[in-house]
This record gives sequence, C-alpha cells and structure tokens, in this order.
Amino acid sequence: MAQSMDPIGKIGSANPIQRVSRVGQTPRQAEKSEIEPDFMKILQQALEETNADQYEAERAADEFAAGRLSNIHDVLISAEKAAMSLRLTLEVRNKIVDAYREIMRMQL
Amino acid sequence: MLDVFRTLNISASGLTAQRARLDVIASNIANAETTRSDEGGPYRRKTVVFREVYESAIHDAGYRNVRAQTDAMRGVEIAAIEADKRPFRWIYDPSHPDANEEGYVQMPNVNVLREMVDLINAQRSYEANVTALNATKSFVNAALQIGKGG
Repeated sequence: MAQSMDPIGKIGSANPIQRVSRVGQTPRQAEKSEIEPDFMKILQQALEETNADQYEAERAADEFAAGRLSNIHDVLISAEKAAMSLRLTLEVRNKIVDAYREIMRMQL
Repeated sequence: MLDVFRTLNISASGLTAQRARLDVIASNIANAETTRSDEGGPYRRKTVVFREVYESAIHDAGYRNVRAQTDAMRGVEIAAIEADKRPFRWIYDPSHPDANEEGYVQMPNVNVLREMVDLINAQRSYEANVTALNATKSFVNAALQIGKGG
C-alpha cells in the first residue's frame, strides 16, 4: 500500500497536468501509456483490495450468523479491516480529487 | 494486504488463544467434582500450553533484519492442552456411589480457587489483546490524519 501511494506525490511534482489528465482516461486509453504504472490501475487495484476486504467482513458476519464461526472477535476484526482499508482508499481518493481541483482552479 | 493487518492478526491470535484457554478453565470449573471420565477415574485438570507462531521462511531469511523479524511474526497459538499430573484428592464420603470399600472417593485434582485466578488472568489477557488491537486502530487513524488541516 505504501508503494501504491507514491504516485500521489508525483502528481504534485514533475508534470502535474499530464498526470492528472490521466485520471479521466478510460482503462483502454491507459493501456497505451506503458511508461509508468498508471495511477488508474493503482487506484483500481486498491479499490479491488478494499472490495475484497468488504466481502470478507460480510462473509464473516454471515458465517457467524449461521453459527459456523465461533469467535466474535474474528467477525469484528474482519469488519475493522474492511473499515480500515475503506478509510485508506477514501483518503487516497480525496487527495487525488483535491489535487485535481487545485489544478482546475489554476488561472491560465 | 495492508501491513497493519498483520498486527491485527497477531492480536486476533492472542484473542483466540485466550478464548481457548477460557474453554479449558470453564471445563475445569464445570468438572471440579466429576468422578467419572473417559480415561477412567475422576476428571483430570487440563492446562493450555501456548506457542509462538512465526513464518520461518521469512524469519530465517534475514534474522538480523528487524523488518524480516516483524514480518515473520504471526502471534500465538495453542500448542497443546495438557493434563495436570498432580494426584487426585481423596475425600471421605461413604454415601457417594463411586466410594471405595473404606468410604473414600477420588475427586478431580481441580482447585476451584486456582481456576478463578486463572480465569481472571485469561480475562485480563483478553482485554490486553483488545487494547493492543485498539492501539493499532489509533495508529492507523493517526496516520490518516497526516496532511489534514495543514
């Protein structure tokens, strides 16, 4: 996760407009630019991981309700993990949106 | 997987281990006066044995590397549930169906007071693991505050 957060730093640095414009690209367009790992992909991957955590938490709650999972703390910890990764993903997303707005406000 | 999830898993293993210990203590208390068991004779007190868990592949690869060591940590597990080998108690009760010719009954080697102390110990250990877990949570929350309100 720490590695995947690096591109955020890059947005603010070398070539902000070019980097940010990629946010709006569709995945097909993104495939053409193979210079660096695309932010779109990284965000998508992070979202998938977050989604997997959500599913895991839901599964744990179901198992517990069905009486197959014996430990309450396992359910709560899965829920906590899901909430944690969601917060982190949201934070990353917010940073990107902030950066995008900052660029859009720029007087040209 | 997030790095902090490993920390959560370590605490979770502690919680699971203490839960298992609670089961054993509850069984000891429940059977404090049980005179019949599967292996014959009265119930024998059980104790749990804990063992550290680590991913030996990571652990051995870079023993001097702190990062490798923390990466290898997986928490705790119950290694075994062992029987207490101390002798059974003899009490005089001729009315008991399991009494011998002299009127003595063999009772479990469970001391309920001792079990109560263990119970409190297990309870506090469980709470300590929850505290560690909550600390992990606040670490993450604090980290998410980085860059806010700058």
